[in-house]
Amino acid sequence: MASKVKHVSEVVLTIPDGSHIALGGFAIARNVITVVHELIRQQKKNLTLSQCVMGMDTDLLVGAGLVSRLMVGGGSLDRFGLVNCVNRARETGQVVSLDYSSLSICFGYLAGALGISFIPIKSLLASEVLERLERGPGAQNLRRMQCPFTGEDYLLLRAITPDVSLVHVQAADEEGNCQIYGPRWENEEQAKAARRIIVIAEEIVPTEFIRQHPTRTIIPAHRVEAVIHQPFGAHPTSVYSCYDYDAEHLQLYVEHARDPKRMQEYIRKYIAGTRDHSEYLEKVGGQAKRDALKADPVLGY
Amino acid sequence: MEPVRATEIMAVAGARELRDGEIIVVGLGLPQVAVVLAKRTHAPRLTSLLEIGVVDMNPVDTPVGLADSRIFHGATCWSGFLDVLGMNLHRGVVDVGFLGALELDRYGNINTTLLQEDSGKVRYFNGSAGGNDVASLAKRVIVILRHEKRKLPLAVAHLTSPGFVGGKSRAQLGLRGGGPHRIITDMAVLGFDSQTHEACLLSVHPGISAPAVQDNTGFPLRIPAQVPVTPLPTAEELRLLREEIDPRGVYLR
Repeated sequence: MASKVKHVSEVVLTIPDGSHIALGGFAIARNVITVVHELIRQQKKNLTLSQCVMGMDTDLLVGAGLVSRLMVGGGSLDRFGLVNCVNRARETGQVVSLDYSSLSICFGYLAGALGISFIPIKSLLASEVLERLERGPGAQNLRRMQCPFTGEDYLLLRAITPDVSLVHVQAADEEGNCQIYGPRWENEEQAKAARRIIVIAEEIVPTEFIRQHPTRTIIPAHRVEAVIHQPFGAHPTSVYSCYDYDAEHLQLYVEHARDPKRMQEYIRKYIAGTRDHSEYLEKVGGQAKRDALKADPVLGY
Repeated sequence: MEPVRATEIMAVAGARELRDGEIIVVGLGLPQVAVVLAKRTHAPRLTSLLEIGVVDMNPVDTPVGLADSRIFHGATCWSGFLDVLGMNLHRGVVDVGFLGALELDRYGNINTTLLQEDSGKVRYFNGSAGGNDVASLAKRVIVILRHEKRKLPLAVAHLTSPGFVGGKSRAQLGLRGGGPHRIITDMAVLGFDSQTHEACLLSVHPGISAPAVQDNTGFPLRIPAQVPVTPLPTAEELRLLREEIDPRGVYLR
């Protein structure tokens, strides 16, 4: 099979304005930072983002003004703080935020991945989360009904079918077989619900290695459109068994993200002001920083 | 030894609510500490589940949250939302959902989404994440939060995760889970009246009076004539918390 390995800038060129992108990060783990940076450098517009638990990935895209709509379960940067740019955009109405729960977003992806148009769920009932969705543009994606067999009350969620799913993984081969090590949150459903799957791999491994550890393959090659090879591509978020989160940089980010002016400084300095991920990595501490973050092989962080 | 901190009493009171052999879905923050403590003391056969896809966590270092590799290390199974919140919680096998909250009201409704400042400005926080799912579906729900009047209002500013909404039973609300069971604060442990579904005082922490608890609560609490005192942490519980589970004081500061 031909290699699907491509450069991030070439891949991002194929993502049109207005796309619905599903992001594969969770808070401060395995965020698709290298693609997020390139989306910002290429100044994409009017994006819809979906995700179970937002992290720095979504916060950066919203802070850079690329996003018009969110479909999310929640979001945080763990003990480092809140998703400040997202929250500010909600407060000012800069984005339409359709707020669900983790499981309801995951079920939406599952329906999308299975090719069914809706899925029943027992979450969100009797909550203001549901009331708000039903009052707003989210209403078209929701219905209430009783089970035709048991009469039990259910909420029906319309399937979520993103245009593109982005997932950062530990290892992939050139054909796109993706291996995730550690918890996988919604990555499998999120990826398989989408029309196009783009993966970012820390390491490109031989197909022979994949064939020796096939249970680790979460997204097989035949579904994957492109593979971006980028070591430390999730920095400053963590990749289990590869490197820890960069606490110092996450703190620096949160300090900037609290204030809209300082957020623009952050974007200018670390994203718009760098040509590519290599230049970004040099700016945030270079080899010494990478050595310090490198995971202990036993602990995985 | 350093005097006992309120956060330590909370973690210990939380841990003691968990029975050996139970299956627990654990939220962000102090619940993580309480579950590890329970497992290392009276409940070695307890199974913890984290929505990110971690089964039976056994961390050797203190994690900063749910997405920290420190909490992935040592697990017995790695999966994801679909397994933990779907095939366990939604399936109905989870005994306890253990959550934090921004606000909690007299019917145990939880807000983790937003607060309205006096100026009228709305400030957003983390949102539901798995919180709504857990509160809707776990057999019983335990919440840990600081005891302040503004955090325990008559009605939450945003009903993210349902308790006994409007004083209704869970069956009337169409919810499968049993609803709120215990509220653990830095002053007291609260429960819920089986008839009216209103919060009631179960015990006060050492040195705290029942009127002081009421003064710091934004809704009228049912207070029994004799209020028991929450047992203090044992020396062994304190040692585990301070030396092993959270030595840097990430959660117990």
